[in-house]
Amino acid sequence: MIAAPGRVDVRAFACPLTWVKTRIALERLRPGERVEVLLRAGEPLASVPRTAEEEGHRVVSVEPLDGAGAGEDYRVVLERGGGEP
Amino acid sequence: MSLSEDLIARFARQLLVPGFGESAQERLLAARIRAVGADAVAGPGLLHLAQAGVGRIWVDDPEDVSPADMGGWLYGPSAVGSPRAEAARAVLEQTSRHLSVEPYPVGGVPTAAFICAPSVAQALAAAETARRARLPHVVVEVDADGGAVVTVPPGAPCYACGRSVSGSGRPPQPGFAALSALAAAELVLVIANPGSATGRRIDLTRGVATVRPTVRLAGCPCGVEGTASS
Repeated sequence: MIAAPGRVDVRAFACPLTWVKTRIALERLRPGERVEVLLRAGEPLASVPRTAEEEGHRVVSVEPLDGAGAGEDYRVVLERGGGEP
Repeated sequence: MSLSEDLIARFARQLLVPGFGESAQERLLAARIRAVGADAVAGPGLLHLAQAGVGRIWVDDPEDVSPADMGGWLYGPSAVGSPRAEAARAVLEQTSRHLSVEPYPVGGVPTAAFICAPSVAQALAAAETARRARLPHVVVEVDADGGAVVTVPPGAPCYACGRSVSGSGRPPQPGFAALSALAAAELVLVIANPGSATGRRIDLTRGVATVRPTVRLAGCPCGVEGTASS
């Protein structure tokens, strides 16, 4: 889901919706603003930050989500770049 | 406005296209497209527009479906003899529940035009109406070797400037499906990114496409009445 500005939880979704929802959340920001993305380990964790960087955004941090099992869920903070999302 | 979860899921793959984000999809959903002509040539383009997520298509075609329309993807044999506008609605609305299809209403105010008119005169008239209303529009020309698509965003050289000098005819041939779909893709891009669209012409000859910007003809009124001339 795309919740309040600043956080998007894509743990329930598979590709391509993981990136689509992240991309829309980034599009709603101004350049330099940040969004926190909650995603699952594996393909989402590998592809969402990589695609964000490919489209000109910055990966600020990647860390395991509090309370999640080892290797389960992650919190990724992205900063919107200056160009088109 | 922002896209609902349902709409995000429906158009997810389109939303992945660089430069085609949430606001572009919203513009498509808000679009009211006047479709001038709904014959076999227009069929693939109308399907493309429907599946891209345009919100409303007004079909401007007073003719009935003929046997010659069968090869154009939109109509089945049972539609022969029924009004094209009604037959098109029956098919197109099945492709997207976010789409409304109606006959072109008297006094309707479209936001864009998709012109697959059956004659040059009708294409010119429809394009001029769209230009005067400052609507983005695309015009499909079919000829024996393929045809062309002329894209006219507001302020660009008009269709009369960009059309084929020799005119166009429409003998049935297999390339028109590609031509019509190409025209629809052009219109989607113009609606989605209105600030970045430029007037251009795509010629499709025996399957080979060539693109060039349209050039305003000397003395054409569109140079006086248009704004962002090129």
